[in-house]
Amino acid sequence: MSVLRVVNLKYKYPDSHRFALNDISFTVEKGEFLGIVGMNTSGKTTLCYALSGLVPHFFKGAYGGDVYIGDMDVLSHEISEITAKVGLVFENPFLQMTGAKFTVYDEIAFGLENQGVPRDVMHERIRESMKLLDIEGLQGKNPFSLSGGQMQRVAIASVIAMQPDVLILDEPTSQLDPEGAEEVFRVVEKLADEGMTIIMAEQKMEKLAAYADRILLLYDGKLIEDGKPEEVFSREDLNEFGVEPPVYVKISRALGLRNEMSGLYPISLEQMPTERDIQFHPVTKTNNGNTTSELIVRDLHFGYEKGQDVIRGLNVTLSGEPIAIIGQNGAGKTTFVKLLKALLKPDTGEILLNGAPLSETTAAKLASRIGLIFQNPNDQIFKHKVIDEVMFGPLNIGQTGEEALANAKEMLALVGLADKADENPYDLSLAERKMVAVASILAMDTDVVIFDEPTMGQDVRGKSKVQEIIHSLHEKGKLVICILHDMDFVADTFGRTIIFSNGGMLFDGPTREAFAQEEALRLARVEQPNITKLVQRLGYDRIILRATELI
Amino acid sequence: MNNMTLYVSRDSPVHRVDPMTKLLFVFISITSTYILSDHLAVLGILLFTFFILLIGKVFKSILPVIGVSFLLIASIIIVQGFFHPDRATVLFEIGPIAIYKEGFLIAFLITLRVVNMVAAFGVLILTTKPDDLVEALLQKGLSPKFGYVLLSVLQIIPQMVALTGKITDAQRARGMETEGGIWMRFKSFLPLLGPVVLNSLTETRERSIALEIRGFNAKGNRTFLYERKNYRYSVPFRIALIAFFLAVIAWRVIS
Ligand SMILES: Nc1ncnc2c1ncn2[C@@H]1O[C@H](COP(=O)(O)OP(=O)(O)OP(=O)(O)O)[C@@H](O)[C@H]1O
Ligand SMILES: [Mg+2]
Repeated sequence: MSVLRVVNLKYKYPDSHRFALNDISFTVEKGEFLGIVGMNTSGKTTLCYALSGLVPHFFKGAYGGDVYIGDMDVLSHEISEITAKVGLVFENPFLQMTGAKFTVYDEIAFGLENQGVPRDVMHERIRESMKLLDIEGLQGKNPFSLSGGQMQRVAIASVIAMQPDVLILDEPTSQLDPEGAEEVFRVVEKLADEGMTIIMAEQKMEKLAAYADRILLLYDGKLIEDGKPEEVFSREDLNEFGVEPPVYVKISRALGLRNEMSGLYPISLEQMPTERDIQFHPVTKTNNGNTTSELIVRDLHFGYEKGQDVIRGLNVTLSGEPIAIIGQNGAGKTTFVKLLKALLKPDTGEILLNGAPLSETTAAKLASRIGLIFQNPNDQIFKHKVIDEVMFGPLNIGQTGEEALANAKEMLALVGLADKADENPYDLSLAERKMVAVASILAMDTDVVIFDEPTMGQDVRGKSKVQEIIHSLHEKGKLVICILHDMDFVADTFGRTIIFSNGGMLFDGPTREAFAQEEALRLARVEQPNITKLVQRLGYDRIILRATELI
Repeated sequence: MNNMTLYVSRDSPVHRVDPMTKLLFVFISITSTYILSDHLAVLGILLFTFFILLIGKVFKSILPVIGVSFLLIASIIIVQGFFHPDRATVLFEIGPIAIYKEGFLIAFLITLRVVNMVAAFGVLILTTKPDDLVEALLQKGLSPKFGYVLLSVLQIIPQMVALTGKITDAQRARGMETEGGIWMRFKSFLPLLGPVVLNSLTETRERSIALEIRGFNAKGNRTFLYERKNYRYSVPFRIALIAFFLAVIAWRVIS
């Protein structure tokens, strides 16, 4: 019998006019690894909720059709009965923390205590899951004082430890460093081999292509295709559904590398041929010569607790072309940009903006000159209407009501949320909320714009929007600084890259050189971009950053 | 507050007492001050509670709370001293205002009771980890729903503080001045109030999903990660507390 069976599932959120899920049917067998792909708002998160019983038990609304977990139907059973079999990892790890426990170790134990797992087994499982997610070093920390990526690891560990029959993960690697993301896929694959059923919504197509057994393609609440990764990713019309195939498919299509028999394209690095003649014409991003504001950092030290430095003696000058900051979870990237924004005060050292020390001003006075988009949009958004949220900053820095409104509307249109101006931000998806946060900073028209993981949870369209925004900010002579875990995006967008590790910099220079620093990349637990890996596999010893450079 | 609880981590004999005994202490300490109406006796109980706080090395942490309740206390004194129906003897005069002795004595008694209540809860909350307290209650068979409601009540203050910090950051990052003198802080307080209240409601809802999804409402038997060491002196302490309580009741009945 199937582990999971969905029959004609339809669902509408309360007060909504469109179906978030529209007549979806599929089954999943024990030990299968099922990937869910689709653009933002296609219904991935809602489907995850429906499979774990949050829809319809927590989110009310119009519900039709059936979801069966084994032989138990979700509608007529209580959440506590469903969670005994199904584990759900949320898109936003902050929402996974119960607040009932005060250390990471106890937080992971919480679900096990409720399940009645015997004490010695409990300790064993906690240790095991901490090891899998590489968070043993965090066990005594308060879950709420972790970095975004660390928290995401704890969220995954806390659900894996419960050993559910079905494990549902909603974009579980959105804030993880590249190594960490790879690890999660490996862990999940191993669990599937051991008989756990895995359902994962993701935007990392290369990873899904390499690990998933089957892919569901969603669009506008409907199930467009349910098939093998090769089949789904070889569809010619994939882009129309707001999904981009893995980079390998794109290249293969351009090079005409199609499997004669099946008519399908190779979807993973392993399936690509190892030798192939190709032409390269590397494009070097030229700096447009605009002068921007300049941030100078001198011997910067900072720690949240005494004696534990998170930032250890940074020296750097930030100006000119857009700059990417990459590095492992917990390296101190967010902490660093909060210092740049004067939200935190350095323990020692100084930061100068155009020659003037930040220590002589306040975060509020800096607001008209430096804008920071927070990593977790929930930390930034506090108004209950999108338009009010976006207008808050402009009004504070002295724009008139009319100016602010015009600016806010323009920026909402720019991020593609013009029609959501009157909604409550809490009813938007995480990716949309992130865009609200972006718009509310752009509307202030600051000289320096700092993004903390802007591509988190964004689909292809969202990512290319972010890219356009970065380019146009640069055109206007603004200094752009951007923290990222998406190496393909970094390679494609930035001329200068800083590799961050353990509160210091391992490398600062041109992006092409950065991705040649094997030792530094390994230490900072980041990877080369997919395209770079591909070209090396094809037998070339050079660093290629964009697909356009080799076709 | 770094740990996001009111609990003050210290090594003291009071910290080692088990949560149920402390809970009993809170109950008896507070009710006794209401059963008794003798100023000296109530003062004695209050001093004893202070003494426990001192042993628990948390006396300093209670002072700000008492300071805050002082506003309440001051208004009690004025209202009672002023308007108490039995007023007869003028105790002292401040300009044209006369404070009467009867009213003042009542106000004094109420003050002692309020301060004792704050201090007694302080003994429990400052020296007991909130999760330990809830766990102890769950082990006694309290329903998990109620347990986590209690926990969120205990967490209200630290949670509000954390949320306030977040929202302040979001506001000053976008140009609202919050740093500076008293007046500046006061001015920035009002725009904070609405978001803090509304966001804490959202957060509560989100937390309840997080709890639910981890099966906190499961019907089966639950287990506990840590073995509760039986506190050696809990029986004698409880007997002493109950004996004291009985004595209080007896005294009240006789006198
Ligand atoms: N509020 C806090 N209190 C105490 N420690 C904190 C706090 N915020 C972060 N830390 C710690 O500081 C270190 C750096 O965190 P930071 O958020 O800067 O990392 P990051 O590089 O942005 O990571 P990520 O990629 O996961 O977002 C981590 O070890 C984290 O646990
Ligand atoms: Mg970060």
